[in-house]
Amino acid sequence: MGKFWTVRIASVVAALAGCFIFQTVATNLGNDYYLRLFLLAGLYVTLSVSLNLINGITGQFSIGHAAFYMIGAYTAGILTRAYYEQQPLLPELWLVIMMLAGGLFAALAGLLVGLPSLRLKGDYLAIVTLGFGEIIRIVATNQQSVGGSYGFSFGPKVVAPWMVCLLAIITIAICRNLLKSAHGLPFLAVREDEIAASAMGVNVTKTKVAAFVLGSALAGAAGAILALNEGYLNPDIFKMDVSFLILTMVVLGGTGSITGSALAAIFLFLTIEIPRNIQTADGQKVQITLASLLMAGLAIAIAISLLRKIKDHFHGPPNQRLIRNLGVIGGSIAGAIVLSMILNATTVMGDKTFEFDKLRMVILSIMLLVVMLLRPQGVLAHHEFSWDFVKRLFRKDHDDKAEVAS
Amino acid sequence: MSESPLLKLDQATIQFGGLIAVNNVSFELNKGDLFGLIGPNGAGKTTCFNIITGVYKPTSGKIFFRGRDISGVPSNKIAQEGICRTFQNIRLFQALSVLENVVVGGFLRHKTGLFSGLTLLPNAIKETDHLREEAMKLLEVVNLSHVANHRSADLPYGMQRRLEIARAMATQPDLLLLDEPAAGMNPQEKDELKEVVYRIRDEFDKTVLLIEHDMKFVMGLCERIFVLDRGLEIAHGPPEDIRSNPKVIEAYLGEPV
Repeated sequence: MGKFWTVRIASVVAALAGCFIFQTVATNLGNDYYLRLFLLAGLYVTLSVSLNLINGITGQFSIGHAAFYMIGAYTAGILTRAYYEQQPLLPELWLVIMMLAGGLFAALAGLLVGLPSLRLKGDYLAIVTLGFGEIIRIVATNQQSVGGSYGFSFGPKVVAPWMVCLLAIITIAICRNLLKSAHGLPFLAVREDEIAASAMGVNVTKTKVAAFVLGSALAGAAGAILALNEGYLNPDIFKMDVSFLILTMVVLGGTGSITGSALAAIFLFLTIEIPRNIQTADGQKVQITLASLLMAGLAIAIAISLLRKIKDHFHGPPNQRLIRNLGVIGGSIAGAIVLSMILNATTVMGDKTFEFDKLRMVILSIMLLVVMLLRPQGVLAHHEFSWDFVKRLFRKDHDDKAEVAS
Repeated sequence: MSESPLLKLDQATIQFGGLIAVNNVSFELNKGDLFGLIGPNGAGKTTCFNIITGVYKPTSGKIFFRGRDISGVPSNKIAQEGICRTFQNIRLFQALSVLENVVVGGFLRHKTGLFSGLTLLPNAIKETDHLREEAMKLLEVVNLSHVANHRSADLPYGMQRRLEIARAMATQPDLLLLDEPAAGMNPQEKDELKEVVYRIRDEFDKTVLLIEHDMKFVMGLCERIFVLDRGLEIAHGPPEDIRSNPKVIEAYLGEPV
């Protein structure tokens, strides 16, 4: 019991400290655009970890997560427009209430779409959730009361970076607790084999609906934060791309891994946002020639084929493998450069150029392609971050040193 | 034999389109029985299991468990009632560890709510630890405690079969249905399995209904045997009678074993 409370209090203190650091960093970025990126990255962590609960942990292939995000956001927006003026609460408290309301409505929507469609499996469920996402967006586009496709604005804006961080931490904590206790096992069992799970007494429908409701509620809360942070909403913010981006985060990070989803969310979001702002020293957009693009493609292709060969035939300690793999990637790039010089690629292909920021999606898809070819189970697969792992790293390090010393 | 039978099939019939997979099958199981269900491939043995465990609803006829009609009750409710099964083609939760597989079975009797699990309250932690301990005990019964943390898909075939039994046992059933538990096992593994089945019956006080093709195994283990062919009962009785029953020999055995 004593240990339980120590751990609990320590985690709460750590979470609050995390929020404080997040808040401090966010307020010191000094640029509204960077602040927005920072907050969105945080929201995407919540979104991808909550989708991971549905997709990765319970194995229900849902690709309409943006719909629940949108329902949360619109709920918060509409309620704020209607009632904010008439109440005396602090903006932050209002934000919390809006998160609860957004979460509640998104959860109801999750229940509504979940109950009838969870008898479907795999691709069929994916199509239904995809359709649901589009229906919600198109309904909003045609509702003049929320401004149709132009959207609507409401006040006041409540910019609370700490809340973004807190929601992400809560989401991660909920999923982690679920996996730590025996209560998570029915969810995993449903993913692995529904018939066997049912024969072991697991109520399959109830488990799936629970996952859907919980995942949607968290996405809805994230939507409410977004709404109050922007003070303006339109249906285009929640296009299908967003659903797919969240799904990509889950798949890339490793389906079922909380750590993977969270890290992939930050990484992918930055990968598609940073190229927008890369400029040359004199403020021009970066241009890339066709020749160098093709050479980059060639380098990636060589690297993939070599790495796959290595993966099939060589085994060894992880650090050796890492060095070898990095060597192969470096070698492929060097080889491609040498090839391009020999073939005199620039002259042959002329000076056709592309703007780098237009290539964001290309980079994203190539990255996904590379991961799927080399590591179909996702970067982190089923692995999770744990303190034991960190301890082992240090202990191993220590042992190695001891061996060298003796 | 004055008490009512544990399980009773009363003229159970199931029809898939034009095919009558199980036709008017009736039998009774008493507490503590070791009951064998045999017959050629396609005779309807596994379908029998499926209607008992609620995978299918019988087209007509009734199934009684402890005197209560359970025909058409969903699978998960049947597991709660106290019937649990293994599968002919092994259906483990492959990505989960051996221990976790068994804990899923034991989770059926959980008492704490999902909220305690999500917030990891002390009672959920306690329950999780308790379920793990219980699971560990069961793994010892089937000789798998040394591989408790392995991924279940990585186990050799015979171990996977025994793990399925442990997982079913974890639901604390009164009646255990084993679907071809010895399939694909070598003679030594079969002997070990026989020990396990006896222990389940005697130490854990369970009733066992099993489907099996290995005649030596069934005849040595079961006290009563029921023979199905094309959905119909062709014989029913102790192993000695079955062995010499001309109908069974013609339909299934070929020659006396």
